[in-house]
Formats: sequence, structure tokens, C-alpha cells
Amino acid sequence: MKKIIRNVAFGLVGLSVSAASVAGPEEDRQAFRKFYENRFPQVQPIGDFQNGVYSILPAAREQWESIEEFPPYELAIEEGEKIFNKTFANGKSLKDCFGEDGAVREQYPHWNKERGMVMTMELAINECLEANGEKPLKYKKGAMAAVSAYMAYNSRGQVINVEIPSDDPRALAAYEDGKEHFYTKRGQLNFACADCHMHTSGMNYRSETVSPAFGHPTNWPVYRAKWQEMGTLHRRFAGCHDNIRANPFKAQGEEYRNLEYFISYMSNGLEFNGPAARK
Amino acid sequence: MKHGLKSLALVALIGSSTAFAGGHGKSAAALIEEATAGYKQVSKETTYQWTTTVKVIKAAQKALDGGNEAEAKKLAQQALDLVEATRQQAQVESQNWKMRVPK
Ligand code: HEC
Repeated sequence: MKKIIRNVAFGLVGLSVSAASVAGPEEDRQAFRKFYENRFPQVQPIGDFQNGVYSILPAAREQWESIEEFPPYELAIEEGEKIFNKTFANGKSLKDCFGEDGAVREQYPHWNKERGMVMTMELAINECLEANGEKPLKYKKGAMAAVSAYMAYNSRGQVINVEIPSDDPRALAAYEDGKEHFYTKRGQLNFACADCHMHTSGMNYRSETVSPAFGHPTNWPVYRAKWQEMGTLHRRFAGCHDNIRANPFKAQGEEYRNLEYFISYMSNGLEFNGPAARK
Repeated sequence: MKHGLKSLALVALIGSSTAFAGGHGKSAAALIEEATAGYKQVSKETTYQWTTTVKVIKAAQKALDGGNEAEAKKLAQQALDLVEATRQQAQVESQNWKMRVPK
């Protein structure tokens, strides 16, 4: 509720300001991309940012590439294929919502004008299940990670092309909400996503090198060695929040969907290459 | 490294939390109640909540249940400081995030 009021207020006030002084999404995106191009000029071609931290860590890359040859997410893709093709009690299946092979990754996230909200692929999967009388899946891992792995796999090579329709100020407000989240310090450790994944990207926290946020949304879901299983993008958001001792938000809640909307828009032009393996 | 970050964050945020030092006369139970109410209030007013706060409140309650009033008081006070620091973070960040956006 609080959030709705804020968004509405932003929609009204924000628009009049943005025309004059505040940068719009397209200026934001260009500055964002330029930031990473300048910081990591060695990443060539620029599309290689889709490989996360391995785009900037040549030393770790070789090992990672050998892992990707026998990818630990292969089982998840197979499981996901079964779920995708499974006939519902009503005789339909996920194919009725997402086509024969579910290669729809490039359609998400998108702004849904009728409902005034950001739609993600995971949310759409659950809505398809529920509309057909099936039980929804948990958002962070398990069957959801598997079926989205299958769909992502069949969508490899599609290009991120998120739009912020100018005929609906609520879309811009959702984008601005995600943007504010990305740059805002949170948690007891007082970190913003941007502190790590932008302004100190390439540096180490504990034993890990921090990846550039440019490319963050390309490769989901991932099989993560630390988890010993698959996880979705929102699981990772929650993990990073937990690390800085901020209460994580609900997977697929408005907060994380808007954040996904923002970071995906920032990565427009990069290719989807999920699922992927990570440490 | 972890500890370095933690104390940095705390110094930055709790600088002015001495306002709560006045809680000495209160019972541990009262302080725990205050911290819990404060936590809920910040959760209602902002999207900022720290995982630490709930943990410390729980630890305070456990100390109290175990009959350790002094420890419970110390922890409850700490929870109050965390609540106040969260509130300050939310306030400061409502403007400061803009500085981090590349131009
Ligand atoms: C204290 C530093 C820190 C902060 C703050 C932080 N992260 Fe992370 N994040 C990491 C580290 C370390 C990793 C693991 C290595 C890497 O970057 O791939 C990671 C991984 C990720 C990944 C996975 C990248 C991949 O290719 O697998 C995503 C996505 C991500 N973070 C998003 C976020 C978002 C969104 C926020 C803000 C809500 C955030 N992070 C806040 C340190 C941080």
C-alpha cells in the first residue's frame, strides 16, 4: 500500500521533473554501459559481459569453461523439459501458454499495462499453472528453477530488449523504483548493490570477486556450487541482501520484480545465455 | 574483513544513537517491548529492515527468560540502537542513493 502511494506520487511528480533535469532510462542505460566499458576495457566483445564474473577473471575462466562442457545444470534442463511437457489434469500443459518449446525468455521482464505491474517469466509460469488448476511452484529453486532452465536453454541467443512504455507513467515509476533500490545502501553492513557490483566490481569480498552488474540478468537460473543445486535470480537477490544483513524481500514480490526490470533494462542488447554454472 | 565492514557501518550509522542511553531506568522487559515496537514501526514506514535486529531482540528475550536481567537489558539496548540506525539509514538513503548513479 505504502508502495503504491509512493509509486503514484512518483508517477505524478517524477514526470514533470524528468523532462527537465533528471536523466531518463535511455540516458541511464548509456551511462551504465559506458561505466563498465571504461572500467573493463579488456572485455571484448561487449557481449561477453553475459558471462558474469568470468568476463573479467581470465584466470578462473578456463576452469569455468571446462565445467560448462559437462554442465551441472543439465539434469535440471531434463527435469524442466518433463515438467514443461506434462499434461495438466485439464488436458492442457505449459505449452498452451508458452508455445511448443517455451523459448520465450526475451519476452520477460515486461510491463503489463492492464495490471500495472512488471511481469517476469517465473510469475508467468505460475500464473499459467494456476489458471489451469495446477499448484504453483516455489520461486527460488526446485521445479521452478528446472522449468525456467529448460525455457532459458531453448531461448539462448535471444536478446534482452526491455521496454519502458512511455504511455504509462507507472512503468517509469516501477523502473525508477528498481533503480533507487539498486543504488540504495541497505542492511547493517550499509551496502548498495551498486557499491559492490558497480563501484567496486572486479574487487574481492572475502574470497569472491564481485561481478559487474552489466550482464547480471542474462544467465538465469544458475547451478551454484555453493548451493549444490539450481537457483533463480530472485534467490540470488535474497542471498546478497542476507549477506549485508538486510531482510530479503519476497521472491517475485514487487520490490524484486522492479529491481529485475531495472537491471534488465540496463543490460539491454546482451544475449540471454542461461542456465549457467557459478561458484 | 567482515568485522572491519561491520564496525565501519555501525560507526557511520549509530553515531547519534546516544539518545537511547537514557533507557537505564527501565526494565529489560520494557526495553525489549520498545525495541520490538520500534522495529515494527520502521518496517511499516520504510522497506529497510536488518536481519540483525530480530536476532538481537530474540537473544534479549532469551536472556530475560533465563533470568539474566542485566544481559537482557544490554541486548535490548543494542536492539534499540539497531532500530535507530535503520531509521537513519532509510532517511539518509532516501536522498543519498542519487550520488551513486553514473552520469
Ligand atoms: C557486499 C558486496 C555485495 C553487495 C552489496 C551485493 N552483492 Fe551481489 N554478489 C556479491 C558477490 C561476492 C557475488 C558472487 C560473485 C559474483 O559477483 O558473481 C554476488 C553475486 C550476485 C549475482 C550473481 C551474478 C552471477 O553472474 O551469477 C547477482 C545477480 C547479484 N549479486 C545481484 C545483487 C543485487 C541486485 C544486489 C543488491 C540488492 C547485490 N547483488 C548486492 C556481492 C555483493
